[in-house]
Amino acid sequence: MESKRILIGDRVLSRQDLFQEKERARRERAKLPFEEKVKILVSLQRLAHHWGRRKDIIIWKIS
Amino acid sequence: MKETLRILNELKEEGLIKDYAIGGGIAALRWVEPFFTQDLDIFVAFEEETTEKGLIDLSPLYEYLKDKGYVRERQWIMIEGVPVDVFPADPLEKEAVEQAQGVEYEGVRTKVILPEYLMALFLRAGRDDKDLRKIEMLLEQCDIDRQSSRGY
Repeated sequence: MESKRILIGDRVLSRQDLFQEKERARRERAKLPFEEKVKILVSLQRLAHHWGRRKDIIIWKIS
Repeated sequence: MKETLRILNELKEEGLIKDYAIGGGIAALRWVEPFFTQDLDIFVAFEEETTEKGLIDLSPLYEYLKDKGYVRERQWIMIEGVPVDVFPADPLEKEAVEQAQGVEYEGVRTKVILPEYLMALFLRAGRDDKDLRKIEMLLEQCDIDRQSSRGY
């Protein structure tokens, strides 16, 4: 079954294109330097602690 | 984190451990896109494995860390603000530690378990969906040596 096309700005994409783009972006993020990933991890811990109200989450000291 | 790794390297320099490598979620993080995790899992190989009673004695290691002011909090030992879980390596984990990739984190040398071994360890642990998700991410996002993974 032909799925509906999606318009983003001047690009017309299928759902499959969207998922492929998402996958490509994930592979790109996988190539980030280790230090950069740990910084993102600490942001996620901070988010979980404050916004997600998970007071049991320890926010790492990284510097 | 950098200081945590420095202390772990010190354990090796002081002869308290033979070698170590980062495993678990943080090792996976080295190979895939960033995701949430709480602690730093360390797999440790010792020169002399057991006491006469067949026990793996982690006391000297914990004593050393305690003397430096690093205390236990819940199941972890807090080293320089990072919750660390220490696992004495079994034969597969020892191989994973030996084969681990040497990397630098902000100029501090450390070792990270390779994706092929991580998958084997997650699969063997098979604790929850999170382990399966990590395997899935490793398969999707990094180049796995499928031939060598087959043997684990």
